[in-house]
Amino acid sequence: MVYDLLVSNRLPGDIEVIDGGLAGLNLLRFIHGADRVVFIDAVNGFRPSGGVIVLNAEDASRHADTIFGHSAGLAYCLRVLPEVHDSKLPEIFVVGIEGATDPDKILKAAEMSLKIANQGYSLRD
Amino acid sequence: MNNPRTKIINAPLNRVEGDLEIRVRLEDDRVSEAWSVGVMFRGIENMLKNRGPLDGLVITPRICGICSTAHLTAAAKALDAISGAKVPANAIIVRNLALMAEHVQSDMRHGFLMYTADFVNSAYSKRPLYDEAVKRYEPFKGKTVIDVIKHTKEILETVAIFGGQWPHSSYMVPGGIASNPNMNDIMQCKYLIDKFASWYEKRILGCSLQRWLNVQNGADLDAWLDESESHHNSELGFYIRYARDIGLDKIGQGHANFISFGQLDMPENSKVTGRSQNSHFLIPAGFARNTEIEPFDQKKISEHVAFSWYADDKGGKHPFSGETHPYATGEESEKYSWTKAPRYDGTPAETGPLAEMIISGHPLFTDLVNTMGPSAFVRELARLTRPAELIPAMKQWIMELDPQNKFYAHSPNITDGEGFGLTQASRGALGHWVSISDKKIAHYQIITPTAWNGSPRDADSIRGPWEEALIHTPVKDSENPVEIGHVVRSFDPCLVCAVHAIQGKKENIWKI
Repeated sequence: MVYDLLVSNRLPGDIEVIDGGLAGLNLLRFIHGADRVVFIDAVNGFRPSGGVIVLNAEDASRHADTIFGHSAGLAYCLRVLPEVHDSKLPEIFVVGIEGATDPDKILKAAEMSLKIANQGYSLRD
Repeated sequence: MNNPRTKIINAPLNRVEGDLEIRVRLEDDRVSEAWSVGVMFRGIENMLKNRGPLDGLVITPRICGICSTAHLTAAAKALDAISGAKVPANAIIVRNLALMAEHVQSDMRHGFLMYTADFVNSAYSKRPLYDEAVKRYEPFKGKTVIDVIKHTKEILETVAIFGGQWPHSSYMVPGGIASNPNMNDIMQCKYLIDKFASWYEKRILGCSLQRWLNVQNGADLDAWLDESESHHNSELGFYIRYARDIGLDKIGQGHANFISFGQLDMPENSKVTGRSQNSHFLIPAGFARNTEIEPFDQKKISEHVAFSWYADDKGGKHPFSGETHPYATGEESEKYSWTKAPRYDGTPAETGPLAEMIISGHPLFTDLVNTMGPSAFVRELARLTRPAELIPAMKQWIMELDPQNKFYAHSPNITDGEGFGLTQASRGALGHWVSISDKKIAHYQIITPTAWNGSPRDADSIRGPWEEALIHTPVKDSENPVEIGHVVRSFDPCLVCAVHAIQGKKENIWKI
């Protein structure tokens, strides 16, 4: 739904929207060459009251499974990224939706992701 | 359970796709009985009923995020068969190259991110090669782990170039492929294949492909290992030394029956040749009892549900007549898994790279199985060296693509009828059996590699392949049964697993 919402908008030419699905480690190739990457994903355990939260890569991947599995997801990808990325790391943010979702939360996450992609984000905001 | 030295361990395995639980009985610190429990109902076949004939091309690649190209291949081949479409050589090659890219990345990731992760288990902390294993396989940091991630992400670019995306692409269609690669696309893919091949030779083998392919038997293997430091210290060399040191060559035998559906159709006028001159596949189809190879006939396949949570008689039906009616009994019956039990000619059979090697007549693996029998060691050795079988054909086929020729031949409308698409996924034999009626899917049955390897017992109460392979496995510490993980993971299970050890009313959970 977030993907559909984003691609239905006219976006600046330097922003590319990708449906990452469950690609996990296979998202690495999309990160290469980017200046700033914003992921939108469901999260669990970051905001007990629920809602939309912005995380950096380190926070988002802190609890990644230490052992790789076929089902390794975004957290594993972000945890291993600094070790496998040969050039300058892009700025990375995760817009997380915690708890039960609804159209308002999805819209808020989509709008927030576009704003961050354009302007960056200070985690003190 | 009267014997005080008898324990039951429930072992949910991590590092596999989906949900899998292994339950074993230990007597005198050895596995005396084993049950493979698929804990999740899939039901994709029922979702496909009454949909349009082409929907399988979109839905079935989503069955699995790591073998989506294999499912797409099987779905497309089934529709090729029903429609009578003749696939042009260009399209055959593109289909092959995509499947081969999926295999070589899967073999490396399974080998060095999943399988050898157990080599740094605390059970081995006193072994002489342990510190070196940590340097290579430590999660997130091991030099091998990092190197494998870097190089496997690149080879998958070839699938994205040909198919628009990976995973879950749907570009294979009856009569060929939907994309039209140009010379620039082909040269990009050639660069990626050559780069992977060069890395595989240097880092994984420590020698040229040709030198490795000269290893013809167990004695050659030992000689190769001692021939040079680059062999000895290569990833393959270290795997052989470590696996032998911890005894992987002595566990995980199993039934010693092997099955391959065959894969990688040979296009006309290709210079590529396989090990088997009589096959129209690079990797031939066949069934083998030990190393005695028999011709393959898909009519001999049946699926049993006597111990599976499905409402049917005891099963034993060919997939064209098999049904998928879930029937959960909980603990009230002898049924214990959501996985059906595929059998060939009434017999369980393991599938995967080792089966491919045996049925291809590969001299090294034929010799190893003849002299020592199958084992966790030889099963993983086959997986780690399968890229050596595939890379020469990949390099040749990419050069045989001609962008001036067709990638798609107009295929007749898909009429009512039935057909099957058989191939090899990275983990082994994969088949789709499809019937079309009134221009809709009337019947769809899928048998996956893990259904073969991780099947429960059949109507004759015969254990599935990895259930059998676990029997007699010594377990030194029932609270850290790493040996069970070695055996099951040598099949590269595609189902997710912690270890529940039930001792009386107390239940502890460990991950293996």
